[in-house]
Amino acid sequence: MDGIQAWFVQQFTELKDKFILCFIDGDRWQWIFDGLLNTLKITLFAGLIGVLIGIIVASVRSSYDKNSESLALRGGFGYHLLRFINGICQLYLTVIRGTPVVVQLMIMYFIILKSSTNGVFVAVITFGINSGAYVAEIFRSGIMAVDAGQFEAGRSLGFNYVQTMRYIIIPQAFKTVLPTLCNEFIALLKETSVAGYVGISDLTKAGDLIRGRTFEAFMPLIAVAIIYLVLVVILTRLVGVLERRLRRSER
Amino acid sequence: MKDKLIEITGLKKHYNGGAVKALDGINAEIDKGEVVVIIGPSGSGKSTFLRSLNLLEIPTEGRILFDNVDITDPNVNINLHRQKMGMVFQHFNLFPNMNILKNMTIAPMTILKKSKAEAEEKAMQLLKRVGLEDRAEAYPSQLSGGQKQRVAIVRALCMEPEVMLFDEPTSALDPEMVGEVLEVMKTLASEGMTMAVVTHEMGFAREVADRVIFMDEGKIIEEGTPEDIFTNPESDRLKSFLAKVL
Repeated sequence: MDGIQAWFVQQFTELKDKFILCFIDGDRWQWIFDGLLNTLKITLFAGLIGVLIGIIVASVRSSYDKNSESLALRGGFGYHLLRFINGICQLYLTVIRGTPVVVQLMIMYFIILKSSTNGVFVAVITFGINSGAYVAEIFRSGIMAVDAGQFEAGRSLGFNYVQTMRYIIIPQAFKTVLPTLCNEFIALLKETSVAGYVGISDLTKAGDLIRGRTFEAFMPLIAVAIIYLVLVVILTRLVGVLERRLRRSER
Repeated sequence: MKDKLIEITGLKKHYNGGAVKALDGINAEIDKGEVVVIIGPSGSGKSTFLRSLNLLEIPTEGRILFDNVDITDPNVNINLHRQKMGMVFQHFNLFPNMNILKNMTIAPMTILKKSKAEAEEKAMQLLKRVGLEDRAEAYPSQLSGGQKQRVAIVRALCMEPEVMLFDEPTSALDPEMVGEVLEVMKTLASEGMTMAVVTHEMGFAREVADRVIFMDEGKIIEEGTPEDIFTNPESDRLKSFLAKVL
């Protein structure tokens, strides 16, 4: 009996020592904290950029799908312009979804934004552009899922195309896509963990730095994993609340 | 001399490069205050015809004069003209995420820039007329089919249209709810609203229509007063259609 107790005490003491070594000594918790801040910054701003790009690309793509027939009949400049922009959007989707985000990050960091010394900024831009492609298709599926009659009702009342989208279609589409959108943000949050590839000190990188400095893998990596998990749980809860509020109009 | 409100000339709607002719040369006119009922077998093009009137379907050929403006002209701002053409759909198409009052006020407030108070007063007035003033705060999912369609009618009326287009307004309703919707439409007709109605309700056509148009295969086969159409049909196609539906 005493043996088991002693074993537990020993384990606990070891864990405590490791904890002190990893997080208290040299104020290394500060690394985790700074890394967490960077991760949150990158996720938040990349998410915002992603939604912005997503809405624009989805609008263009679904406008083209919905209006190309009538515009083609009328012909003229508007049709060709929309066709051209639609082509660009499709190219964007193909390239971004067809290449790994780590490669995109390195291309951005070492080639396109070579002159920038702000790693977090580069990460925000890269992940924002990357996320935009996925958000665009999420929004587009939401727009397509809204009954065509809603669109016709809006137009027949005298709303123009943009107003119909803005007041009638998008609010309904948003409700439909919310769970999938939440999924995308979770993926984005975790995807930012590759930022360390180009030397950005995000949460994962901070954990890894501590591992390198202390030769202790368990403590920092598990801590990092738990922090990600907690963030995702909080995010899921928040979206759940929002979803319930938006669903109030349904029985 | 009657006042022409809508004049349609040579209207054609082709699909698949002319393989399918949904509308094949329609000439018609609708006068101010007139109630025109369009009947015909399914696939005859009557819904396509009605939906062409406010350009929900873009015609392949032909002209539509509304208030003496050719609305098929690509340079015309169709949104302005659609405001004056109310439309009621088979499946109601109420906005499910808005309550009834919001359904009715969003267009007047956004498009006509009416104040909230003004738009809501008008909406409540109209709701009262169809006996639904106590459902203003309800959501569409909480209404019966007949109630939804009555709301859809007054939603269109909130824009103070010059003409109302009805696309099979009672076809999706349970039989016991058809009456309440037709009643609202009758009242509207008696108040002098110009109406174009696609319907299978022959009783309504006979009772309310000033003129009945019979369509088949994208063409107008016969038109005339309800008396002409229902009592003295001329063409064989109309005779066989009436034999099936009456």
